[in-house]
Amino acid sequence: MASTVIGAGITIEGEITTDEDVVVAGTVRGKLSAKEAITIEHGAVVEADVVGGSLVVAGALTGNVTAAERVDLQSGARVIGNVKAARVTIADGAQFKGNVDMDV
Amino acid sequence: MAQARTTTVGGVRAAGDAREARIGSGAHVRGRIRGEGSLVIDGRVEGDLAIEGDLTISEGATVKSEAVEAHAVTIAGSLEGDVVASGPVRLSSGAQVSGNLRGSAVAIDDGARFAGRLDCDFDLPPELGGESRESRGEARPRTSVRR
Repeated sequence: MASTVIGAGITIEGEITTDEDVVVAGTVRGKLSAKEAITIEHGAVVEADVVGGSLVVAGALTGNVTAAERVDLQSGARVIGNVKAARVTIADGAQFKGNVDMDV
Repeated sequence: MAQARTTTVGGVRAAGDAREARIGSGAHVRGRIRGEGSLVIDGRVEGDLAIEGDLTISEGATVKSEAVEAHAVTIAGSLEGDVVASGPVRLSSGAQVSGNLRGSAVAIDDGARFAGRLDCDFDLPPELGGESRESRGEARPRTSVRR
């Protein structure tokens, strides 16, 4: 279980910084930074720059993404922004607009 | 996945998402938090909080806020700021609170530290009924009695 959960009814406007996992099912505007895994669930709305160890997106994300390990855009995800990570997957059914930088 | 938390005080609340929101112990949130559900804070929060559900500030958590609005509020950690609760406010042992508290009821446990004003509504017993309508707004700790 993630140590930080932004529930579906919750909106945070500002900056979230953590050295643990984050699951977003609600709305985050601003900046989101975690040392471990970040999960943006289906139905979540994130309008923020995201920095994490790894990132899984199934919801809507607008902002630039940097992950130390990997970024997985799952089916149903809608991502607008640049993605920077060593490994990136974009599933069939994910919508994506932006640049991918795998640091090659 | 955590189970849904049940409402403590009367009324029907929509279950919404079956998970409660939680700011983990390693997390630091700077900004505004609002929403419908309940929230547990284990970490650090700087900024205003307005939620319709219950708020729990756990032991070890630190909250600095101009205004905290929620239904039931339980504090075991440290809070700097005013609380306006539509439900009861409880300061558990170990809580450290500076600010004004307003709620349907306020409980301060032994071992809690509190500096501020208490403001809660309750009905006077009949023998005291009538004119005890005190003014509010003094800074010293006291309980306002209103009818």
